Amino acid sequence: MGLPNASGDLSTEVEVDAFRRLFPLRFYEKHLLESIRPDARPLGRARETTIALGAVASANGSALAKIGSTTMLAAIKMEVMTPSLETPDEGCIGLLPLAARFPVSLSLLKTPGRPAEAAPVVAKQLSDTILSSGMINLKELSLVSGKAAWMAYLDIYCLDADGALFDTALLSAVAAFSHLEIPVVSLNDDGKIVLSEEQGLSDREPVNKEKRKINLSSVPFSLTCVLHKNYILADPTAEEESIMDTIVTVVLDSSSQLVSLQKPGGTVLAYTSAIQDCIALTRQRVKELQKILEEAISGMEVD
Amino acid sequence: MVGLSVGEKHFIQGGIAQDLRSDGRKRLTYRPIYVETGVIPQAHGSARVRLGATDVIASVKAELGKPSALQPDKGNIAIYVDCSPTAAPMFEVGRGGEELSTELSVALQRCLLGGKSGAGAGIDPTSLVVVEGKVCWDLYIDGLVISSDGNLLDALAAAIKAALSNTGIPKVDVAADATSDEQPEVNISDEEFLQFDTSGIPVIVTLTKVGRHYIVDATSEEESQMSSAVSISVNRKGHICGLMKRGGVGLDPSIILDMISVAKHVSEQLINKLDSEIAAAEASEEES
Amino acid sequence: MAAKPGSAPVTYSPNLGQKTRPPIFKDNDLDWVRPDGRGFHQCRPAFFRTGAVNSASGSAYAELGSTKVIVSVFGPRESKKAMMYSDTGRLNCNVSYTTFATPVRGQGSDHKEFSSMLHKALEGAIMLETFPKTTVDVFALVLESGGSDLPVVISCASLALADAGIMMYDLVAAVSVSCLGKNLVIDPVLEEESYQDGSLMLTCMPSRYEVTQLTFTGEWSTPDINEAMQLCLDACNKLGKVMRTCLKEAASGSQE
Repeated sequence: MGLPNASGDLSTEVEVDAFRRLFPLRFYEKHLLESIRPDARPLGRARETTIALGAVASANGSALAKIGSTTMLAAIKMEVMTPSLETPDEGCIGLLPLAARFPVSLSLLKTPGRPAEAAPVVAKQLSDTILSSGMINLKELSLVSGKAAWMAYLDIYCLDADGALFDTALLSAVAAFSHLEIPVVSLNDDGKIVLSEEQGLSDREPVNKEKRKINLSSVPFSLTCVLHKNYILADPTAEEESIMDTIVTVVLDSSSQLVSLQKPGGTVLAYTSAIQDCIALTRQRVKELQKILEEAISGMEVD
Repeated sequence: MVGLSVGEKHFIQGGIAQDLRSDGRKRLTYRPIYVETGVIPQAHGSARVRLGATDVIASVKAELGKPSALQPDKGNIAIYVDCSPTAAPMFEVGRGGEELSTELSVALQRCLLGGKSGAGAGIDPTSLVVVEGKVCWDLYIDGLVISSDGNLLDALAAAIKAALSNTGIPKVDVAADATSDEQPEVNISDEEFLQFDTSGIPVIVTLTKVGRHYIVDATSEEESQMSSAVSISVNRKGHICGLMKRGGVGLDPSIILDMISVAKHVSEQLINKLDSEIAAAEASEEES
Repeated sequence: MAAKPGSAPVTYSPNLGQKTRPPIFKDNDLDWVRPDGRGFHQCRPAFFRTGAVNSASGSAYAELGSTKVIVSVFGPRESKKAMMYSDTGRLNCNVSYTTFATPVRGQGSDHKEFSSMLHKALEGAIMLETFPKTTVDVFALVLESGGSDLPVVISCASLALADAGIMMYDLVAAVSVSCLGKNLVIDPVLEEESYQDGSLMLTCMPSRYEVTQLTFTGEWSTPDINEAMQLCLDACNKLGKVMRTCLKEAASGSQE
């Protein structure tokens, strides 16, 4: 524990623990005065972040993202659909069922009620962000204009929740899309799209010879900050989120353009300068995340 | 839950230990079985089975459907059990009735429908196919618990066996000119019916372990004293078609093997008894 | 741009080619090879790790071949008010699949059958009387289904319970055997399971040599049952050792 008088003596240990439980806010404020957090991070530093690509072999693209101990597993399955009449040459990203995908560990967090309602909120936020960022050109998902297009089903499971759920979800989604490998398919006699290799139709011209990868332009990354008085805490843990309720989420794309900014209520009314500080923190964080993602991708290519 | 006093518990356990149960039966004796067939006229087949105060009804409905793409030569059979709240207050929705229903449905499916490839199934799913890959019969088997006094699984299995032997599936004529792509047109006859071969359908024998002994056909009072129970489904050939251990406490593997051989022995008598009851019930239905 | 609610388009997966593939096993063919090259009586290498989920009281991750399972244990927490008073603890089990667990995209719903089987397999091993009036939740998520899912879930769940410090008589190890024609194949993969004629799953507490759950499907003769049960018991013993080692490693790691 980062308290100055915690000398490793068991009796003080217990007291610190009790103090933390009884007066969480004062416990935090004492830390904030020293510009440090209970987990020894400076206020503006995010937790350790890792990405593992290709975690699920049965999916077309998948990624496991970890920020601190918050863990999300995202997987994409490609299925074929008939495009709608208005957009004959566009594919689709199936994000809607996402809301139903959260309950396993989230709904059972120690603070009952809260995370269960958080799931659909995060899901909606995520689908808005991915679609509005223009990360994916839906035209790339087209196979045969007006006849067939890809539907990319993205499902995200929260395996462990410890704050910054949206950041982790977005990171895992982005990583899964960059890992996505579209299978080679061709049109069979019945007018259905089938895998080229399996059906012995390899002599037939594949419909999507070139489009094996999706081009990701302007990838969005996000950072969630918690505001308390004049302090800004980047990448909060679940404990921090529950004690200090003003949350600001900033999403920037790779060229530092603002994709979305959210401050859903909270007790702190933020000055614009605070928001600007949040954005500045996010800008740094985007660079970090970009690097982590690039390393993960190049790590995959070596194998 | 059965509320029993300490004295009553000792009486039941002591009786079982001395091979004389509270209702005068021996450990491996069933209560008398009464079978009545054709109790639900709307269904294609139905039967009511009473085992002491346990009373269950099984009905079979057949509908024309399409076989699944993975198994084009097989019809679909679904078994579902409903525990009516009229049987016991604990079956009320949200108070464990649903759990029991699922447990019984799963156990019956496992015991009667055999492995994934259909081997060991009581009802041959290939006999349900009308046109391969296109048309087949879907069998919906519903079990209803009217009154519960223990040993529901054995009673339900017996009722399903009786209901299936009572089932007549309409004969289907397929229009000969059907091309390979289209769904062929079918003509359902309302006069000719096909019967199932029910001789292969296994019976389920549940052995309930109370103390160091096991008993068949436990009443709910006896069930409340069980440490564990094993349901074993045995067909006429003496082969085991399914087994489920129910109830918590662990068992030594050698005890399970012993239970299996006991169940095989008991099942012979049960099958004969049940078959004659079913035949008698069918005969009385035709008379009336 | 986005898929509108209520107008979900009908989609299909392009790799539905399985029905044209011949069955991997034909009758009387005794020298076929298993899809992953194992011997008939050889289990897949098992990997277990506890403490995979921080927010849970206990958790475990298991990987056997391509079957990947994560189990979290929450509690003991106060039982719901609506429940009747009970002087023993309650166990609440839930098994669900991710949508991407199976080759064809599934619905990701709860698996009621497995949930009740998991409950049955575990309740005999847990000392429920040590936490009266409370409930322990066991949540299993099958991340990837590669065959023998339920046995892996059960073994993994018992590790998670141990990690959560729930008192148990022993760990529960589970193994299944598939019957293909005349052959018994232990720890079947998905492909073998889809052609099996019968299956047997046995869960046991290795050090007490007690069976907590046993299920059969398909038609079995008594000698086959003996053989299959013995196979499972031996395999459970070995699996139990692997699980024990995993717990010991976790315990010695946390002491440092």
